[in-house]
Amino acid sequence: MRTGAAAGHHGYFHEAVCYRSAEELLAVAVPFLLDGVAAGEPSVVSFGERNADLLRRALPADSGVLFLAGGDVYARPTGAIRRYREMLAGYVAGGAGQIRIIGELPAWALGVTWDWWARYESAINHAYDEFPLWSLCAYDLRTTPGAVLDDVARTHPRHLTPDGRHVPSPTYTEPMTYLRENRPVLPDPLQAAPPQVELTDPTAAQARAAVHAADRGVLPVDDVENLVVAVSETVTNALRHGRPTVRLRLWVGPDRMVATVSDGGDGPKDPFAGLIPAGDGAEGGLGLWITHQSCNHVTAHRGPGGYTLRLTVGNPHFAA
Amino acid sequence: MSGDAHPALPADHPCWRRDDPAAFEAAALAFLSAGLAAGEQVWYVTERDAAAVESWLRAVPGFDDALRSGAARVVPLGGTYVEDRVADVAAQVRAYAEATGAALAAGHTGLRVVAEATGLVRTPAQRRAFTRYEHLIDRYMRTHPFSAMCVYDPAVLGEQAVAELACLHPGGNAEGVLFRLYAADRGRAGLAGELDQSTHDLFALALDRADPRPVDGRLVIEASHLRFVDHRSLLLLRDHARRQGAVAVLRAAGPGVARLVALLDLPDLRVEVVG
Repeated sequence: MRTGAAAGHHGYFHEAVCYRSAEELLAVAVPFLLDGVAAGEPSVVSFGERNADLLRRALPADSGVLFLAGGDVYARPTGAIRRYREMLAGYVAGGAGQIRIIGELPAWALGVTWDWWARYESAINHAYDEFPLWSLCAYDLRTTPGAVLDDVARTHPRHLTPDGRHVPSPTYTEPMTYLRENRPVLPDPLQAAPPQVELTDPTAAQARAAVHAADRGVLPVDDVENLVVAVSETVTNALRHGRPTVRLRLWVGPDRMVATVSDGGDGPKDPFAGLIPAGDGAEGGLGLWITHQSCNHVTAHRGPGGYTLRLTVGNPHFAA
Repeated sequence: MSGDAHPALPADHPCWRRDDPAAFEAAALAFLSAGLAAGEQVWYVTERDAAAVESWLRAVPGFDDALRSGAARVVPLGGTYVEDRVADVAAQVRAYAEATGAALAAGHTGLRVVAEATGLVRTPAQRRAFTRYEHLIDRYMRTHPFSAMCVYDPAVLGEQAVAELACLHPGGNAEGVLFRLYAADRGRAGLAGELDQSTHDLFALALDRADPRPVDGRLVIEASHLRFVDHRSLLLLRDHARRQGAVAVLRAAGPGVARLVALLDLPDLRVEVVG
């Protein structure tokens, strides 16, 4: 049996909490968690250090609330989906009737990599819907950019207001629609210069060799290997599922490597491709999922000229 | 890197695609000369006129004496490989094992062969058997003083056939073939090079023909020379192991391979880290 606002709801009950002060955040978070514990529901906090401390101080000692360590879960959207799904499946297997999670993205996720976190917020409406999950996604109105808040409204079916009301989000957009849109993406400043490498219709092996050749040893080997994997998978998908002409471009910066892979096609038909693994590797979905797991930022763009993925390893948080 | 943790790729079984006759002659003579210098008996197995090949070889410094003493021999292809032996791959391995034993008995340190083998693999049926033989003889070479350069003519066989053969040799000049499935230490199979979508069908064929077998429920594959592998190829390997009731274990795989295996998180596929 589910308790609270999600009682009687089937699947994922996904709410945003937009707050203006610590008091407003605590006003919703504390009862949300304590009511969950009282009902025997796993009640989990996935906050950064500052807000986790704030909550710990506000909760009674030995409250029974579970705090996830650090912000590792939010390293990459695809990894977060995987980790939460494993966690949720474990709770359900253990007999949980509902799981409550309150979480917040790290501040850096609301910057130039927001587009893939916006896709995350949309995709999880589907990816967590097989679980009796009630989650609150906290956004600080004092620091969150307006464009991000617009996406929050479009990706959360409802808001929980600081005074405790559950308000449907008028601009909520189904993931199947939202994920087919182009997200606004800032060009990486590295892209203002001509690419170090540009290959037309490369084989995957040539694409991998180009990444190795472009490496100037400034990034850790693991970053370079991750880009090799991502570029290989993306070029393979473009050759198999896309249309001519396939182009690989590579830029190397002091703290990151950026690759774009484009083809003349429309991109994957599955709007969740990359965020959720598809099948057993038979189609391109698993390759795109691996790409999303290997990079620190992946953007996708559909246009009249075709489909382009931009892959970044190293530090993706360039100054805009 | 050397030693047991990361053994070098074997150099005793190169596959040579003969596109350029001059380059081939130079490589073949270097291969055989190294054998003579090491006290091995060397054979030049040819499908051409043996007398003509012998007179060519006599003109090469060092080979005249060797041919006279019996340290070097020119052997017609039909005298070494018999058509029904090609179908019976174990018998063909035995034939070279006996010849290696005879070379040792005659006071040589081993047997080394350049084999022009194009005529043995013209049909798909011949290739099916011969590729299996290539892997078995590769295994024999790891533990016996026998080595062979296998020579194939792409103009006669075509690229696909040459690739099917070359990928079952640990070395050679077929650089367009991205990966190698070879016999590694301790009776294991090894994978070297790169496996991706473009090699998917060839890898499936090579796995089927080499047919590496598990020991105690583990199909251990030496992977220290595997520079890249994609998830599709990992799944092929996993499926091959699973059909034999085993888990596939990639031994000494690099960090990129290890990370991909960890991401896929499949119960029948593991990486074994070697210090």
